[in-house]
Amino acid sequence: MAGPSEDYQNSLGNDDIKDQEDAHESSDPVDEGKDTEGDSMAHPASNSIHRSSSRPQLDLSKAAIQGNFEERDPTILLPNQSDDISHLALDIGGSLIKLVYFSRHEDQSTIDKRKKTVKLRLGISNSNRRSYPILGGRLHFVKFETHKINECLEFIDSKQLHCSGVDSRHWGSESPNSQPINNANNAVIKATGGGAFKFADLFREKLGVSIEKEDEMDCLVAGANFLLKAIRHEAFTHIEGQKEFVQIDHNELFPYLLVNIGSGVSMIKVDGDGKFQRVSGTNVGGGTYWGLGRLLTKCKSFDELLELSQRGDNRTIDMLVGDIYGGMDYSKIGLSASTIASSFGKAISENKELEDYRPEDISLSLLRMISYNIGQISYLNALRFGLKRIFFGGFFIRGHAYTMDTISFAVHFWSRGEMQAMFLRHEGFLGALGAFMSYEKHGLDDLMVHQLVERFPMGAPYTGGKIHGPPLADLNEKISWMEKFVQKGNEITAPVPMAKPGTTGLGGFEVPSSKGGTLRSDASALNVGVLHLVPTLEVFPLLADAKTYEPNTIDLSETGELDYWFTVLLEHLPDLVDKAVASEGGTDDAKRRGDAFARAFSAHMARLMEEPAAYGKMGLANLLELREECLREFQFVDAYRSIKQRENEASLAVLPDLLMELDSMSEETRLLTLIEGVLAANIFDWGSRACVDLYHKGTIIEIYRMSRNKMQRPWRVDDFDEFKKRMLGSGPQKPRPHRRALLFVDNSGADIVLGMLPLARELLRRGTEVVLVANSLPALNDITAMELPEIVAEAAKHCDILRRAAEAGGLLVDAMTNSIDGSKENSSSVPLMVVENGCGSPCIDLRQVSSELAALAKDADLVILEGMGRALHTNLYARFKCDALKLAMVKNQRLAEKLVKGKIYDCVCKYEPAG
Amino acid sequence: MDLKDEASIAMLPAESRAPMPHLAIDIGGSLIKLVYYSRDGDWLPEDNKIWSSKESLGVSNGEGNHPLSEGRLHFAKFETSKINDCIEFIRSKQLHVGGQHHEVPSKNKIIIKATGGGAFKFTDLFKEKLGIVLDKEDEMDCLVAGVNFLLKAVQREAFFYMDGQKQFVQIDHKDLYPYLLVNIGSGVSMIKVDGDGKFERVSGTSVGGGTFWGLGRLLTKCQSFDELLELSHVGNNRVIDMLVGDIYGGTDYAKIGLSSTNIASSFGKAISVDKELEDYQPEDISRSLLRMISNNIGQIAYLNALRYGLKRIFFGGFFIRGHAYTMDTISVAVHYWSKGEAQAMFLRHEGFLGALGAFASYERHGFDDLTAHQLAQLCPRRESCSEGTLHSAPHCDVIKEKKTL
Repeated sequence: MAGPSEDYQNSLGNDDIKDQEDAHESSDPVDEGKDTEGDSMAHPASNSIHRSSSRPQLDLSKAAIQGNFEERDPTILLPNQSDDISHLALDIGGSLIKLVYFSRHEDQSTIDKRKKTVKLRLGISNSNRRSYPILGGRLHFVKFETHKINECLEFIDSKQLHCSGVDSRHWGSESPNSQPINNANNAVIKATGGGAFKFADLFREKLGVSIEKEDEMDCLVAGANFLLKAIRHEAFTHIEGQKEFVQIDHNELFPYLLVNIGSGVSMIKVDGDGKFQRVSGTNVGGGTYWGLGRLLTKCKSFDELLELSQRGDNRTIDMLVGDIYGGMDYSKIGLSASTIASSFGKAISENKELEDYRPEDISLSLLRMISYNIGQISYLNALRFGLKRIFFGGFFIRGHAYTMDTISFAVHFWSRGEMQAMFLRHEGFLGALGAFMSYEKHGLDDLMVHQLVERFPMGAPYTGGKIHGPPLADLNEKISWMEKFVQKGNEITAPVPMAKPGTTGLGGFEVPSSKGGTLRSDASALNVGVLHLVPTLEVFPLLADAKTYEPNTIDLSETGELDYWFTVLLEHLPDLVDKAVASEGGTDDAKRRGDAFARAFSAHMARLMEEPAAYGKMGLANLLELREECLREFQFVDAYRSIKQRENEASLAVLPDLLMELDSMSEETRLLTLIEGVLAANIFDWGSRACVDLYHKGTIIEIYRMSRNKMQRPWRVDDFDEFKKRMLGSGPQKPRPHRRALLFVDNSGADIVLGMLPLARELLRRGTEVVLVANSLPALNDITAMELPEIVAEAAKHCDILRRAAEAGGLLVDAMTNSIDGSKENSSSVPLMVVENGCGSPCIDLRQVSSELAALAKDADLVILEGMGRALHTNLYARFKCDALKLAMVKNQRLAEKLVKGKIYDCVCKYEPAG
Repeated sequence: MDLKDEASIAMLPAESRAPMPHLAIDIGGSLIKLVYYSRDGDWLPEDNKIWSSKESLGVSNGEGNHPLSEGRLHFAKFETSKINDCIEFIRSKQLHVGGQHHEVPSKNKIIIKATGGGAFKFTDLFKEKLGIVLDKEDEMDCLVAGVNFLLKAVQREAFFYMDGQKQFVQIDHKDLYPYLLVNIGSGVSMIKVDGDGKFERVSGTSVGGGTFWGLGRLLTKCQSFDELLELSHVGNNRVIDMLVGDIYGGTDYAKIGLSSTNIASSFGKAISVDKELEDYQPEDISRSLLRMISNNIGQIAYLNALRYGLKRIFFGGFFIRGHAYTMDTISVAVHYWSKGEAQAMFLRHEGFLGALGAFASYERHGFDDLTAHQLAQLCPRRESCSEGTLHSAPHCDVIKEKKTL
């Protein structure tokens, strides 16, 4: 027999504190030899490319967010040897393998003359594009079960993740203790987790790659730091089955406690990038749950065991305070009768054997025991080091609602409500992400939150990152997958009605009342999207306070909202599918894709109904964008293409008459008529069910005239007089015209042609530069920045003001050569410009706009937002540094009631002067 | 004999003016603890196994001027599931009427001080079977009173346990407070004690003795708590626990101060798909379980001591039962987590804190003054009970084992 303390004496050494300071910084890792790119941008070494060999540094400092958006310090040249460069990092844990890999955006270098002209105007040379510190691309997150490691290897192989573009000289670690890599074919993959050691040979044998092991803690911390800084709503609390996303100020992030619950539990105090120490831990962790659970229940998998717990009743096994005190609370010391006095304490009964207990009850009892214990020890450590925030991660959690609830409850209970447990949406991927960050030049260092867009395509992201079966190689496979996916029946078949979330009760460690029926085991595993890194996105510089800006007017987490919009979108779906299929010629292939799109979107909706937080913090804008993304995913590039074209043509035909009519008016009448016109023309909206019905009842012009005639002031929100005062003044003295106006336009057809274009013309006539801001990608019948120049050119044929302005803005490059008036002297008109907004949604999140728009906004002193999507669904409450006018017709009864206490077709003319 | 455990200590409660009951009872979730008083010469023939001190003390109660007669405090335990044995024991000794030589009090209602959750639960049973009313004393009050009494009145009550060695500590009772009392019963209560009757339950955990025994029963088919404990002596937890070395291929994860023999995950090896419950030795399971629970309690206790700036942590409760390995694991845990700055201390009468406290709660027992004044002074003159002989036969093995350590 071993002496009683033998193990311990050997095993428990000093709990050495690890505190990695910025010890040795490697020299500038930009390999000058590789810097073969033609443009010779200097890379100021000062800016955040120094990094220690073992640990990534993030430099997402506040200054970068707040600061000076015009000045972009060029930092790292992109790895320039390959256009389709992919990078891969792994976290090989005991039960799951997590992969993070990067793929470059397909080159969207379609010749875009408009963009070119804008750039020329702004003095942005094309080569300057390389000054973006990060590589545009996508970060993918996928998981495999460790015992199915071959699937993982096949996946890597099929996507060639291990070799494409990985130049070991460039991407390999330059850490002093790593072996120099001689064999150029021998790619190096960064990996962490215990399995990184175990499976190194397998990777070498099967893929011919070397696994380079990165320290687990380093990776965890790097991953968590990256996520908390780069993703706006990464962290959430989980109380009583409800997730609430928390936005964390980067400047107040540190210090925090990171509790990683793997087989065992590590508690890490994080003080900054690469600065952390493991302060505590416990050996009672996920391995204990699964190990004991297996012995006690014969479950075949961890997930099965978790699943069981949902239906358990721990009261049959745990000894509760009430069991000891005969049903009474021991309230003197704050213990209610339902508090667990002793986990498994009832199992001492002699009358029952293991077989007599339900596995469900055992699993639940075990889960609560371990979760509470971890919560308690974490709280005590947070308290000890004065840490405000505790983030929990690791495979034990796996997005499992009840686990999170019990941990939250324990932290709440022990801290008497003073501390909250927080969880991370990407919690399973901390290590893998950190390993990815450990590449010398992953380009993520300087990434800022506004440069990331998360998308949720079907496939792995929909299933929470899990890969089922072979990877989806192309669209066709995705469609088949979609078909099978739905046919499985138990996954998403029909929208699940939203049930009341399970509750754990707050009185003690109480038994949740209704969790069993409402939470499926996989329901709470959050969808992990693909992170699109779009280096060209910037924060709109005219926002009064970018920090507090919230684009969404409608928060879908409010009671009833999701249900309502769910219904609206689903009702609209058949019509949308018809349009989409028609836009692709109505072929069989288009029909099949249309079906797949409908399924996919319904699946997203069902998922959301089931777990409203599945996609992170969702506003209506995100939901509408999700639909557009889903359409694009099934390669419906522009579902409303033909409709838009038809309406543009019809509207352009009547434009000259309208312009003549306007020109005959006095300045004051004209201004009112123009605003009326914008509001009236905004009725043409294929995104509004009510308006779609209208379309079937008359021609565009009929509707437009009828609509305009009905524009009786006062409107529901009517700041026209103020706006007029700013434009025309009140006395004899005329106010100075605006220098530059940004017009965020909405729909094609009458809306742009008969509404916004005449308004733009008026501004131009008054000497105000006009920038038409339109979508980068199609969304519904919204006009896009690509389509605008043509419309402007067509309108310019009949209008001298527009023509000269468009010429000045460089919009008529082609038109000019064809124009008979080409020789006409180029007057000194203020320019009319077109710029893309950087998004493809009917709404706009002004935290993420194109760099061109951001640049043009510099000199702007008037912002006009038009239409429901951009002025109501989003930005209704947005405040700007300059004058702002928000114009929209409310084409939805519910929205009218909610936002303006009005009714459908009411109008909003909201003017907010600068400051 | 169903009597589970019985021990006595020579103590001398005051002879009070009115007849007082000579019994107090602590009814826990798994064990019933009795403390009863007998005057010398009261022994029943079957008590002969019980150690009795030849030494006796005459103490006069200064205030009441009631001489304390010589006598003893007996300590006995029963499993709660065998409560009828306990009742039978009380009846046979007539403990509820103050000993067989006492008259039944004039009032019909006999009141016995009781504590523990079961004092509520079994009220009716005691009334029915013995005709006594259980007067419920608060559990925490009793625990703390019991500990305070022991720490002040009994010399060599507290000890460290390291590497199989007991090391008794004499605690200056003036320097006693504040301390953390960790009572490991079915569950665990952690109580910050600031003085007599001044305390607060600051924490606790549901992972306690009940968890050890409950899980242990399910996993090993052991028939008793003691059997389970016994098994743990010969077990090897490495078969079941995942050690740091199992994860890092035998190398230490020295960077963060974990050696390869650290337990990374209790029961972490049991996730192996190749082995079922039957394939593990009950000994190994028991040991793994014991270490998991002891280590956890030690850790949480240390964190709470740290939080409140308490120098001393006393561990008590039936889970410990003087069990060497349990004490060792708890000691090591406290040592480990505190980096050697804190030490776990144990109490010789650890199982009887509550019952002793209940006994002390009789209004006229004369204990208060005794503990507060006289006995403290008397202590130096008095040889304490010799250790290890406090227990009767059922614990012999354990005792022997302890001696070999």
